[in-house]
Amino acid sequence: MVSNSAKRGINYVVFGLNVFLIFCLLFESYMVLPNGVAWLGRWHPVILHFPIVLLLIAIFLGLTGKKVPWKLLMIAVLSALITAISGFFLGSESGIKGDLLYWHQWMGAAVALIASVWYGLAGMGHGDGTVSKVLQVILIGLVGFTGHYGGMVTHGEDFLALPKNRKKKEIPENPLIYEDVVGMILDDKCVKCHNSNKQKGELLMTDLAELRKGGESGSTLIPGEPENSEMIKRLHLLPEDEEHMPPEGERPLTPSEIQILERWIALGASDSIRLGHLDPLEPLVGLVRDLMEPDPMEKWKALPAVADTTINNLSSDYLTVTRIASHSDALSVSAYLPPEYRADDIVDLKRVANNIVELDLSGLPLGAEEMALVAVCTNLEWLELDRTPITDAEMAKLQGLTRLGLLKIYETHIGDASISVFRGMKNLKSLYIWETGVSPSALEELKKERPNVHIDYGIDDGTKAFFVTKDSISKTEK
Amino acid sequence: MEEERTNADNPLKVNRRHFFSQLSVGIGSLALGSLLIPDLFKGSAEQLAAQPLGIPHFAPKAKRIIYLFQAGAPSQLETFDHKPTLRKRMGEDLPESIRNGQRLTGMTSGQEKFPLMPPAVKFQQHGSNGTWISDFFPHIAKIADDICVVRSMHTEAINHDPAITFFQTGSQISGRPSMGSWMSYGLGSENKNLPSFVVLTSRGKGNSQGLYSKLWSSGFLDSKHQGVLLRSGKDPVLYLNDPEGISRSDKRHLLDQVSSLNKLHHVETGDDEIESRIAQYEMAYRMQMSVPDVMDISKEPESIIKLYGEDCQVPGTYAANALQARRLAENGVRFIQLYHQGWDQHGNLHNEMAGQAKDVDQASAALVLDLKQRGMLEDTLVVWGGEFGRSNYCQGKFDPENYGRDHHPRAFSIWMAGGGIKPGINYGQTDEFGYNIVENPVHINDFHATLMHAMGLDHEQLIYKYQGRRFRLTDVAGNVVKDLLA
Repeated sequence: MVSNSAKRGINYVVFGLNVFLIFCLLFESYMVLPNGVAWLGRWHPVILHFPIVLLLIAIFLGLTGKKVPWKLLMIAVLSALITAISGFFLGSESGIKGDLLYWHQWMGAAVALIASVWYGLAGMGHGDGTVSKVLQVILIGLVGFTGHYGGMVTHGEDFLALPKNRKKKEIPENPLIYEDVVGMILDDKCVKCHNSNKQKGELLMTDLAELRKGGESGSTLIPGEPENSEMIKRLHLLPEDEEHMPPEGERPLTPSEIQILERWIALGASDSIRLGHLDPLEPLVGLVRDLMEPDPMEKWKALPAVADTTINNLSSDYLTVTRIASHSDALSVSAYLPPEYRADDIVDLKRVANNIVELDLSGLPLGAEEMALVAVCTNLEWLELDRTPITDAEMAKLQGLTRLGLLKIYETHIGDASISVFRGMKNLKSLYIWETGVSPSALEELKKERPNVHIDYGIDDGTKAFFVTKDSISKTEK
Repeated sequence: MEEERTNADNPLKVNRRHFFSQLSVGIGSLALGSLLIPDLFKGSAEQLAAQPLGIPHFAPKAKRIIYLFQAGAPSQLETFDHKPTLRKRMGEDLPESIRNGQRLTGMTSGQEKFPLMPPAVKFQQHGSNGTWISDFFPHIAKIADDICVVRSMHTEAINHDPAITFFQTGSQISGRPSMGSWMSYGLGSENKNLPSFVVLTSRGKGNSQGLYSKLWSSGFLDSKHQGVLLRSGKDPVLYLNDPEGISRSDKRHLLDQVSSLNKLHHVETGDDEIESRIAQYEMAYRMQMSVPDVMDISKEPESIIKLYGEDCQVPGTYAANALQARRLAENGVRFIQLYHQGWDQHGNLHNEMAGQAKDVDQASAALVLDLKQRGMLEDTLVVWGGEFGRSNYCQGKFDPENYGRDHHPRAFSIWMAGGGIKPGINYGQTDEFGYNIVENPVHINDFHATLMHAMGLDHEQLIYKYQGRRFRLTDVAGNVVKDLLA
C-alpha cells in the first residue's frame, strides 16, 4: 500500500504540474526556452503513448463499473501532465503555430487538466460519481481528437485523406486573370468546401457561371461592386465572426489575395482579361506580379551559412559587412577609403566570397589583388567599381560574374576591350558607364545587342545645357 | 484506514499547515515557469524587439533616404496640383459642402468669406505621363519621368509645429524619435565614420517658421541615433577640430584615458548612456578625418557645379546642401535630412513662391539627375515636400493681385524619386477645388510605413519599449502603399 505521506507528496506534484502547465499556456508569448528545456520537448513523441493507453484503460475500468486502481490513475495523470508540458516545449520550437498545432495544444492541455480533476475527485472519494463518469466520457473524445490532430501535425493534414491529385499550378506569362490567378486562389482556399461534393451554403465555386449564380445568401459576386459582393464582405469580417470565410480552422486568404479578388470584381469579374490588358497603374498588376515573382530571399537560401562572428571579424571602421536581411546569408559589403589603405582588407573577404551579393568598392585605389577577389565572388548581383583606377586587364577577370545585374564602372580607365566582358554577363540590367575609354560606337553596338540593359552614359546633353543656361540663381543675379 | 480517510482526506478539512505547503508547491511551479520568460524582471527594450536590430527585416529596395523638407508648407495649388476651376470661380465663396466643417487656424477662423483664389502661376504637362507641374519649377519639370508625384497626402495638424513634428516623428506631440533616428536604430550605419543621420538647413527669403533640434532628436532611443546638424562654412561640426598644438596621437591617448574612466563609471552605475557617450567620442574622433573630406566640394568638376547651379558654391544655400547630400549619400549616410525654410505664404504669395522655388528647383532636380547617373537612384530614395497644404481660398481680403493662402491639412502634394518607388507616376487625386481627396489618400502614417518598407523594415516590427508601452514610428496605424512600389 502507498503510505499517506507518499500520496500527499504525489498530490503535490500533480498540483504543481497543473499550475506549471496553466502558467505556460497563459504566458506562452513571453517565453523563450533555453536549449536544454527545448530538448526535453523532443521526448514528447515517446511519452505521449503512455497517457493514451493508461487513460483509456482507466476510463474503460471506470465506465464498466470496476474500481480504478489509484496507482493506475496516478501514473496516467502524471504521464498526461508530462506529455502536455513536453508537447508545449516542442510546440514552441515551431515559432508560428498553425491551426492544427493550436488545437492539438489546447486539447492536449485539456486532457491533462481534466484527468487531473478526475484524479482529484477520486482522491476525495468521488471517483465513482456521475461527475467523474462525465469527465471520463469527455476524455475519450479529447484523447482521440488530440491524437488525431497531433498525427496531422507530424504527418501532414492529408495523411488520412484519400489519395488525390492536388498540385499548385504555376502562373504563366501574361496570365488570364480569372483562370490563372483568381481560379488558383479559389481552388486553394475555397473549393474544398464549395464543390459539387460538399457545396456548403449551396454555393459552388468551381466555375465563373456558378459564382455569378451565387449561393443561399444571394449574390456572391456582383461585377463592378466588390463592396456589395457577399464573398468580399465575408472575407473582411473579423476572424471570430460566424460568417467569416474561410471558417475557423481553415487557412485564411492573405491580404493581397483578398485585394486581387476585390480588384478583379471591381474590373467586372471577367474571364477574358489578361494581365497585359491592364493599365500599368492598376493595383491588380502589382498584386499579380508579386504572386508571380519569386521572393529574392528564396534564391539566397542556397548560399553557404555564415556566422555572425565571421561577419564581425571581417568588419572594420572602413569596411561594412552586413547581412542583406535578417536570417539571410547573403552579404552586402561597402568599403570606404581609410587613411592608410591596405589591399589585404579587401582580399580577406575571400572567406565569404560566395556569400557576397552586393559589393561596393567605389573610390578605392584598386589593383590586381583586389580584382582577383572580386572575380571569385561568383554570386555577385551588384558591383560598384566606379572612380577606381581599373583597366581592361582587370575587367577581363570578371568574365565569370554571370549573375551580375548592376555594374557601376563610370570614371574608370576601361576601354572597348571590356565590352566582351559585359556581353558575357547574361543577367545584366543596369550599366553605369560614363567618362571611360569606351567608345560611343562600341556602346551603341552593345545596346543594340542587349536592348533590355539600361546603359547610362550620364546626363544627356540637352538636359545639361538646359541646366547651364537656365541657372535659377546665377552669379550675376547676386 | 477507513477512519483516516474520513479525517485526513476530507477536502474541506485543510489545516493551515497543509494550506501553506500546498500553496508553496503552486508558487514554486509558477516560479519555475517564470524562469522561462527572459525579460520578466528586466524590461530591456532591445531584447523585446521582434527582429534583430541593425539589419533590414527583408531585402531592401532603398539603402538611404534624402529628405528635402520644404518647411513652412509650399502650396500644392502652385506646385503640383493643377486646379483650373479655381480660376473660373475666382472670388466665389468656398461651398460649405466642400469645406464640410474643416477646423481653421486662428488666422482665418474669423473670416466671414472664403473667396476661392486662382493658381498664381501657369501649369504645363511634362514627361510621358503628362504630369502637371507649375512654371515655378522648370528644372523639376525636366525630371517628370523620374519622379512619383503624390497629390493625396493628408494630415490632422493645422499648425506648423505639430504638423512638422508629425512628419518627422509620427506624432504631433513632441518627444518621439525622429524618422532618421528610427532608421538608424533599425538599420545601423553604413559607414562607421559618419553619423547615420545628418541634418542640413537653409533658409529662403519667404515667410519662415522656426526649426528646432527636437525635430532630429532621438527621443527615447539611444542618443547615438540623434541627427547631427552640419553647419555651413568652415566648421561643419563645432569644436570638431583639435586645438593648436594637440596632435592626433595625443588625442588618441586622451580618448583612451577618458574612455577607461567612463568604463569604470559604467560598471558602477550601469547607465547605458555612458556607453553611448564613449561611442560618440570615438565617432567624433573618426569624424575629424571623414567630415572635412566629405564636405569639401572643391574637387567637384565644373559640370557638376553647373548642374546644381552656381549657388551651390555658396555655403549654407539649399543648392550647396543638395550637393552635400549627394556626397553624404555616396559616403553611406543612411538618412540625410534637408530643411529649406520660408514656404509659409500667408501673403505676397506670387513673389515669395517664385523666390522659394528658385532656391530649390534647380538643385532638387540636379540632385535626382546626379544620383541617377551614378546609379544611386536604384538604392537611394529622395523625398520632396512640406508639412501640409494650403487653402484654396485667400487669407484676408479678396485681392487677385496680392494674396496669401492659409494652412490646409486635408490634401497636399509631395514627390518621391528612386529607392523602389515607381518613377513617372501620379498618385491620388483631389476634387476640382483641390480641397478634398477623392482618390487614394495617403496619410502620414502610410507614408512612413511605405518609406520603412522601401528600407527593408516592417513598420509593425520596429518597436521600442519605453515607459511601459511599445512605440513604433507609425504607432498604431499606417499601411504600406503598395501601389507606389516599383
